[in-house]
Amino acid sequence: MLELKNIESGYGETRVIHGLDLTVEAGSVHALLGRNGVGKSTTLKTIIGQLSLTAGQIRFDGTDTSDLNPYDIARLGVAYVPETRDIFGALSVRENLELAGRLAPAEGASWDVDRVLDFFPNLADRMSNGGHELSGGEQQMLAIGRALMMEPRILLLDEPTEGLAPIIIQQIFTKLNQLKTEGMTILLVEQNFNFAAGLADMISLVGRGQIVWQGTADALKTDTEAHEKWLGV
Amino acid sequence: MSDAAFWILQLLNALQYSMLLFLLSIGLTVIFGLLHFMNLAHGALYMMGAYIGISITSATGSFWAAFFLAPLAVTAIGAVLYFTLIRRLRNAGPMNQVLVTFGLIFVFLDIVRLGWGDIALGLDAPTALQGTTKFLSVSYPTYRFFIIGLGLVVMATLMTIVSRTQIGAMIRASVENDDMAAAMGINVGRLFFAVFCVGCALAGLAGVVAAPVFSATTGMGISILIPTLIVVVIGGLGSLQGAVVGSLIVGSIETIGAAVLPGVASILIYVLLAVILVVRPAGLIPARV
Ligand SMILES: Nc1ncnc2c1ncn2[C@@H]1O[C@H](COP(=O)(O)OP(=O)(O)OP(=O)(O)O)[C@@H](O)[C@H]1O
Ligand SMILES: [Mg+2]
Repeated sequence: MLELKNIESGYGETRVIHGLDLTVEAGSVHALLGRNGVGKSTTLKTIIGQLSLTAGQIRFDGTDTSDLNPYDIARLGVAYVPETRDIFGALSVRENLELAGRLAPAEGASWDVDRVLDFFPNLADRMSNGGHELSGGEQQMLAIGRALMMEPRILLLDEPTEGLAPIIIQQIFTKLNQLKTEGMTILLVEQNFNFAAGLADMISLVGRGQIVWQGTADALKTDTEAHEKWLGV
Repeated sequence: MSDAAFWILQLLNALQYSMLLFLLSIGLTVIFGLLHFMNLAHGALYMMGAYIGISITSATGSFWAAFFLAPLAVTAIGAVLYFTLIRRLRNAGPMNQVLVTFGLIFVFLDIVRLGWGDIALGLDAPTALQGTTKFLSVSYPTYRFFIIGLGLVVMATLMTIVSRTQIGAMIRASVENDDMAAAMGINVGRLFFAVFCVGCALAGLAGVVAAPVFSATTGMGISILIPTLIVVVIGGLGSLQGAVVGSLIVGSIETIGAAVLPGVASILIYVLLAVILVVRPAGLIPARV
């Protein structure tokens, strides 16, 4: 469904991604793990078109998205939840959701505001609050809910557990697991190994802007050498 | 003239001037808030609105034709500026933007000198709006009431659009975080261009409605630019509510100050600017939360 072929990208003159290959199968959860600063977030920003490719190619569902604008990529069904969540503080919670829902087809959309509120009941009481008034956990739920309102064909999640209390992490885990069961394709960037291992069908380890190891969670658990080398501190 | 009548008159004058400042500052503040672009040529667009309006009126014999067509013509000028200069200068830094748009002021000045000459040109208010109307015992020119009403209508319309509609939510979201807005499928560049066009149209509208009151002169664009910039800075760059509040404050201080304290009126506004820059550097109602 999503294919990155030998991509290079970075910030201005600084190359961060050096020839990264990655394939995310439709209907799977693929986790991208690795130490701080190896280029996981940069990879996601490149997929959504925020950073441009200096080499390589990205295909989504048969379409070459390498030179597309972020808004065109979003319209293909790529929904992005950044590490910083980026809730619009000047908009109410409802407006944040409805803005994302703008992209959904008028008829037969599978997500609407009501379904998001069923999915994340915590948001129901906060609908008229400004985005800047939410707690960290609520922001994360809104960021995911907002992505769902886009009727995504793939969800790109950047460290959804970062800075959250264990009980909230557990809730988010349950919800993502539910999405997985429904067949949602997810590319998940995480630092929390157990969280990622519990969800992912496939894990790719990133080291210095490249994929350095690939396999299932079980394979990674037994490959202590890879675990040590690319994740250990 | 009674005391009360004097104050009512000053208040109406202040309101009328505030509305013109508002029509102008909207464009300036929005262009800055959305495009991070300081367009000093905005006052020149106001001047173009006045002169083009005068020509349209004399060609068609109708003020109302000018009222609708002059803003469109000014929008077209703005669009040309956008594609030739503004879009390219977006990442060129404020100093280059200020220099280029400052230069544009003189280009427009010469265009007006060549096209219309160097003398002040008047424009008659439409027949229906000539004469005076009585308001709380004060007789006040009907046409000036029209300007006040027009400003209030534009204000209410813009506030409603920005705070209540989806387009408004798209604008607020894009001003706050254009990368995230784009990641949600919003074509931020096109949205900003549309908003830029509205800003130019309002500058043109301000020019054409100001012509019957002040006459069109080659200096009008520059003399309105300074108070408009002050409105934008006081209100908060990029903030619609800020432009509303800022125009009312600057319009009142300039008008009432000139009537009550003629000696110091001209510096009052700079004193206020300095105080606000110290106390609230982001303006009274900043655009970003
Ligand atoms: N805006 C930026 N400008 C320049 N360099 C950047 C920028 N953002 C990140 N970098 C650099 O790019 C490299 C990769 O950053 P990236 O954010 O992709 O790492 P990451 O794998 O997501 O790390 P983390 O786990 O800490 O989120 C780092 O060396 C970082 O310093
Ligand atoms: Mg990161």
